[in-house]
Formats: sequence, structure tokens, C-alpha cells
Amino acid sequence: MAEFWNPYATPDARARRLLGVGAVVTVLVIWSLLAVSGLVSPNKLPAPWDVLLAFSYLAWHDGESMLLTATLWSIGRLAAAGVLVMAIGIPIGIAMGAAPKLNAALSPLVDPFRSAPVVALLPILVMWLGIGEEMKIAFLFLGAVVYLIPLVRDAIQAVPQSYWIGARDLGATPWECIQKSVVPMAMPRIADAVIVAFSVMWTYITVAEYVNARVGLGQLIQNARRFSAWDQVFAGIIVIIALALTTYQLMVHLKRKLYPWETQQ
Amino acid sequence: MSGAASSTPAPAAATAKAGVTIVLKDIVQEYPAPGGGTTRVVDGVNLAFERPGINMLLGPSGCGKSTILHMLGGVRPMGAKTPTSGKILIDGAECDGAHDDSVMVFQRYANRPDLSVFDNVAFPFRLKLWRQRIAETEWRQRVADTLKAVGLADKQRLRPAQLSGGQNQRVALARALVLRPRILLMDEPFGALDAQTREEMQRLLIDLHNAQPCLVVFVTHDVTEALVLGDRVIVLSAQPARVADDFVITEPRPRSGAWQRSGEAVRMEERIFEQLHASGPGRGSVRVTV
Ligand SMILES: Nc1ncnc2c1ncn2[C@@H]1O[C@H](COP(=O)(O)OP(=O)(O)OP(=O)(O)O)[C@@H](O)[C@H]1O
Ligand SMILES: [Mg+2]
Repeated sequence: MAEFWNPYATPDARARRLLGVGAVVTVLVIWSLLAVSGLVSPNKLPAPWDVLLAFSYLAWHDGESMLLTATLWSIGRLAAAGVLVMAIGIPIGIAMGAAPKLNAALSPLVDPFRSAPVVALLPILVMWLGIGEEMKIAFLFLGAVVYLIPLVRDAIQAVPQSYWIGARDLGATPWECIQKSVVPMAMPRIADAVIVAFSVMWTYITVAEYVNARVGLGQLIQNARRFSAWDQVFAGIIVIIALALTTYQLMVHLKRKLYPWETQQ
Repeated sequence: MSGAASSTPAPAAATAKAGVTIVLKDIVQEYPAPGGGTTRVVDGVNLAFERPGINMLLGPSGCGKSTILHMLGGVRPMGAKTPTSGKILIDGAECDGAHDDSVMVFQRYANRPDLSVFDNVAFPFRLKLWRQRIAETEWRQRVADTLKAVGLADKQRLRPAQLSGGQNQRVALARALVLRPRILLMDEPFGALDAQTREEMQRLLIDLHNAQPCLVVFVTHDVTEALVLGDRVIVLSAQPARVADDFVITEPRPRSGAWQRSGEAVRMEERIFEQLHASGPGRGSVRVTV
């Protein structure tokens, strides 16, 4: 117990996995007990095995996989919005971080949106863009880009000035200082910002697919709820969580591959 | 650096190329004082550097050494005009603002952790200024030669995090030397190294300077370093800085321990300490790293 309250005593990988799996199993056991005991009605909390059955039903019945189709559509929308978020958000964030005057001008326009009710913008987007794919992608884009821009700006501003000075003293133009020294040094944190943006998009996917989705994970959950198929609602939510986690893990892995020097610092 | 040298087959032109003169004329530097008004940091400094050699610049902490060095490099600190008055002439031409005759090396080597040793040394050639002047085959050769000269040829694939402090400072030095500058400005470059590594680096600098003489202005607060390296020693007074002493050392380098203990060297050492202490205790004790 001596090492319990010690933030630097990281347990080894096996112990960490054991603790993580243990926690998940504990939750499953409590959930199962609640379901078996009849304390909570199945209409409010479906049993774990019912959720599993719902999952297998969604995954395969009548010769088709509703779940796979829905997942692919959701991933497609998320990927399209993600490309836009990166292509537009990263340059704006870099420009704001690199030019304090731009930052002073743009941050009052960008920063408040982090706490704005982006969901409330949905009707406005519907009014502007209709109820098709554009609206859904625009919604995901908006929700994520307002997080990405300030994070990218902060990443640029966090680069020690010595790298900027070092390049300038070698005869770099101001733009070269940014492009050749500051941005490469900010890349790991920019990658972190992108990872956050994708997590945010996963949390918004159900909202994005709320209006007039014919297919997608959000629509699948929405549909199940209409028929009070709570086991399917739970299965859908768990699939989204799993996908979000997988995206996160993959991106963190990719980031470590791309910027191995960050941890050697 | 001179375009002529690369276009014509240079006949042992190294010395001609290295010849550069710097004249500082009545340099005054003032900074805005915190409570309003101005503080005079440099007060009428006149200096001339006329031939390749190692010029040591000493002075009490905070007296304005780095300020003068930055002026020579044409680098402006933020929020102030430099110099407040006076002129800097490089080869007779007034220098105002950045120029590419000089390269700086600092105590805090800003080596890039994401680049290999080779790419760190080759970094200047990612910039338009140098890419336009030096062809890729040539700069690749130069980087390889410079790495060999500083003793890092076998480390060129490693990253800075895999090197020691002294090796990192070699990388920084190589990045400056690869440009074959006519003026090399060094601001306490070995100040953060342990005594043994510092001596190694001093020997390395002497070797490199013999092989490729240029005009070095070297700021230090280490009197021994000044005596071991300097062709000339300039001592500044405490803030506001004036030239308090300026003398030449003719003893050839490398300078033996016996010479360092000789009467000549000891007298020089006393002379420097006298000037440094004359500035009085408690003044100019603020350290600023720009
Ligand atoms: N940009 C600036 N604005 C205001 N004051 C400055 C600025 N740069 C330097 N100074 C002041 O000028 C004085 C000289 O600074 P400088 O860095 O040149 O000293 P130094 O001789 O190099 O000191 P050290 O030996 O500690 O490196 C200091 O008192 C410092 O506070
Ligand atoms: Mg200094």
C-alpha cells in the first residue's frame, strides 16, 4: 500500500490490464445481478445477455447485417467530416498560433463555440443545408473544429521560443521559422488535437444522424428506441463506444509511430 | 558565402574569404526601464576587429555582452531599437538588421529533437537563403566533412536525445560551421558543460579554427577560457558597459599548462580579475538569456 498514493509508481502492463479487466467485469457482474434480482425492470435496464442477443440479431439476420451497414455509413460520415476538420482547422489553428494579431482577431469568434450548445445549431444547419448528408457532415465538422482550432493554436504557442530564434538566426524568413521549425515541433500536440476532434465527433454521431437518417448507428439507435427495443439501444451505444475507443487507440498508435522523439525529449 | 568563391575555382582563397572587418562605433544601447525612463546598458563602446582570430569578450554578469553580440549578428531583441545610437560597420558597410556573414552559437543549443544529427547539421540548407547559394551535392559533402571535423561522423543517424551534452554542443557548432561563416558569434557556448567536456570543446574549437580561420567573437565569464582561447581579450565594465581593458595574447595555441601557470598568464589573469572586480559588488547581477 506504500506505493498506492504515488503518481510515479506505474504498475507493470500485466497488473494494469488485470485492474482494467477487473473493473469491466465488476460492472458486468453488478449489471447482471441487477437484471436477475428483478430490482430494475427489463424495460429500464435490459440484461447483459439480452443486449448480446440484440447485438447478434443486428449483426446478422435475414441474410443481412444492419449493424455493419450502419457502422460503415457512420464511419464514412465521420471520415468525411474528419478530413474537413483537419484540412480547415489545422491551418487556421497554426495561423492563429503563429500570428498573435490573427489570434486576437479570431479567438473571440472561435473560443466561445467550445462552450456553445452545438446541438442547438442543428435546426439552423437543417434550414441552411437541408436534411441530406451535407447537413450531417457539416454538423460533425462544426462540433469538432471548434475544439481542434484552439488546441492547434495552443500547440503552436507551446513550442519553446528557442527553436524559432534558432531558425531565425540561421537566416530563415519569418514564415520559414514557422514552417520549418515551429510546426514540426508542434506536430505531436497537433496530433493529440486531431485525436480529441475524432473523439468529439464520435460523441456527436448520434445527434448528427438524428434527423432523417435512413441508415447509420445513430439512426439504428433512434429506430430501436421508437420501438422500445432497449436491448438494441444498448447494443448500439456499446458499438459506438467500441468504435470510438478503437479509433482512439489506432490514432495514438499512429502518433507514436510518427513522432517517436516526443517521449525521448 | 561570397558568390565569387563558388563560381571560380578558388586558388587557396580561404584566407581571402575569411578576411572581414567589423567596426563598432560609439555604440550605445538603452532599454526602457520598468519604472519608466530608460536604462543605459551599453555606453559608448568602440571596438575594431580586423583579422581572423578568436576574440574573447568578458564582463560582469548582466553588463551587456549578449546585447553586443546580438548587435554584431544583426539580431534584434524584442521591443527595443538596437543599437540606440552608434554604428556597426561590416567591411566598411553599415549593418542594420540581419545579415548572413555571421552565425551564432549559444549555451542552449537548440537542436531539433525530431531530426537526426545529420539533419540537424544540414538544417540551414532547408532554408531558401542557403539552398539558393549552395548546391545539394556540395552541402551534403560539407555536412559530412563538418561532422567528421567535430567527431560525430559515426553518430549522424542518432537523434539529439541519444547524445551527451558535449556531443549536442558539437552538433550546434557543426551547424554553424557548415555555413563557413566569416564571423562566428559564440555566447557562452560551453558554459553548461562539465570541466572536462569544456576543455575538449575548447581544443576542438582551436583545431577547427586552425583549419578554417574566421573571426570569432566569444563571450565567456570564465577567465581561464579567455586565456586558453583568446588571441585578444576584451573586458567590459559593469553596466553601463564600456571597454575597460583590451589586450592581445601572442602565445600560440594550444597553450600548455606550463604557460597557463607562467608569470605572463598569471599577470593577465590578475589584470582581468581586477577589471571585473572594479565593477563593484552587487551590480549587474541580473542574468538575462535572450
Ligand atoms: N530586450 C531587453 N529589454 C530590456 N532590457 C534588456 C533586454 N535585453 C537585455 N536587457 C538588459 O540589458 C542588460 C544586459 O543584458 P545582456 O544579456 O546583454 O547581459 P550579459 O552581459 O550577456 O549577461 P550574462 O553574463 O548574464 O549573460 C541586462 O541588465 C538586461 O536586463
Ligand atoms: Mg549573456
